[in-house]
Amino acid sequence: MSQSRILTFNIFRYDPQQPGDKPAMVQYQLEETPGMTVFIALNRLRAEQDPSLQFDFVCRAGICGSCAMVINGFPTLACRTLTAKYADGNITLMPLPGFELIGDLSVNTGKFMRELAERLKLWLHPDETQHDIHLIEKPMDPEEAAKLYELERCVECGVCVSACATAQMRDTFVGAVGMMKIARFELDSRDARSAEDFYHVIGTQDGVFGCMTLLGCQDNCPKDLPHMQQIAYLRRKMAGTLITISKA
Amino acid sequence: MAIKSSIRKLSAWLDLSQSLSGVILAVFLWTHLVLVSSILLGGDAMNWVARNMELSFLSSDGHGYPWVVTCIAISIAAIALVHVIVALQKLPMSLRQQRALQQQIQVINHGDTRLWRWQAITGVVILLLLPVHLWLIGSSPETIGPLGSAARIWNQGVWMVYLPLLLMVELHAAIGIYRVALKWGAARNLNTRSRLRKIKTIMSVVFVALGVASLLAFLPHAG
Repeated sequence: MSQSRILTFNIFRYDPQQPGDKPAMVQYQLEETPGMTVFIALNRLRAEQDPSLQFDFVCRAGICGSCAMVINGFPTLACRTLTAKYADGNITLMPLPGFELIGDLSVNTGKFMRELAERLKLWLHPDETQHDIHLIEKPMDPEEAAKLYELERCVECGVCVSACATAQMRDTFVGAVGMMKIARFELDSRDARSAEDFYHVIGTQDGVFGCMTLLGCQDNCPKDLPHMQQIAYLRRKMAGTLITISKA
Repeated sequence: MAIKSSIRKLSAWLDLSQSLSGVILAVFLWTHLVLVSSILLGGDAMNWVARNMELSFLSSDGHGYPWVVTCIAISIAAIALVHVIVALQKLPMSLRQQRALQQQIQVINHGDTRLWRWQAITGVVILLLLPVHLWLIGSSPETIGPLGSAARIWNQGVWMVYLPLLLMVELHAAIGIYRVALKWGAARNLNTRSRLRKIKTIMSVVFVALGVASLLAFLPHAG
């Protein structure tokens, strides 16, 4: 049996809670095992070498979006990244930029997502006048349900925000995650909001018209969501509200 | 039927006018370069193009109206001004934003973000060089032709403006059109996007080559 190789990890270390602590890259070495992911490696490093190492995880299966970090220059999920992918065995880990740093590789994406949801009102707004709890809900067209499901796959990992230079330059920019969720409600026939209503939420420089189509979101999204198409769709939809034709 | 437009939706108008002005300028640029490249077919060919651009076919003496070229230069300057004003809003104007962009490019490996930075850099250089070109052409339109242009480019040393302007503008225009296409949804999938990216590179290379060849073709006409 061939001997397994030694991986070298360069990990960003900084604890903002520790007075006097300074950001630094710290090197660790670890023996690679078959099928090892960056997430497994981090757990082993923490268990065997440095219990103070901070990083987030929950599901280990690319569903919760907690373990997103920058791996060798690409923001992605640690649990879905095999160490075998890196031929030279050198792996550099950085926290996701654009979020509040909790410590080392752990960032507060939850705070960002919650504020975004409140700001953009990311929940279903049904037609209140038609509301009758005794009525059976109308079945949804399967094609529409499939479209919604596709956009619902977002795990709020924050990769799209970190990969977006516009979001890094402008703190108030909603990012692809915000636009993806707006597109989801815009497509939902149960949502009573009109294109005009959505314009007030994202028809700004912080929304769809501030997006410069750099497509970091599209190229790095670990769930392969169609950000490029959805943002273009929203842009056309919002620009379509500029001129209204009515029968006078 | 009533058509109502909302002028209060400034962000949408700005984004739309940035794309629209960019497309008009790119189409003009490529048409302009094809017309100038008539010098590759010889002095007579370029003379014919230049006189037709001055609408010589409408004048009885066949000399045309050189002020038409001045009008075109003024129109292009106006469209470029609109493009600059709206595009400036997207550029990192503060030191904090510039640092954020620099850090982003260092930490995140992403080709299209680097491409955008080139678009921004070339845009700033064009902003400095384009007024020189428009002034030279707009103020003496009657000199456009194999001899007049050759004298300007090679004897008066204007090639030092034209060569960098050509490189910058051909990069900027092709990247810009690629981005506009993606921005408004011309690419339905990632294969189309990668095809568009290739077309963008080909356009830049072809037009830079055409421009350099045209500049060199003026050399024999310089006194």
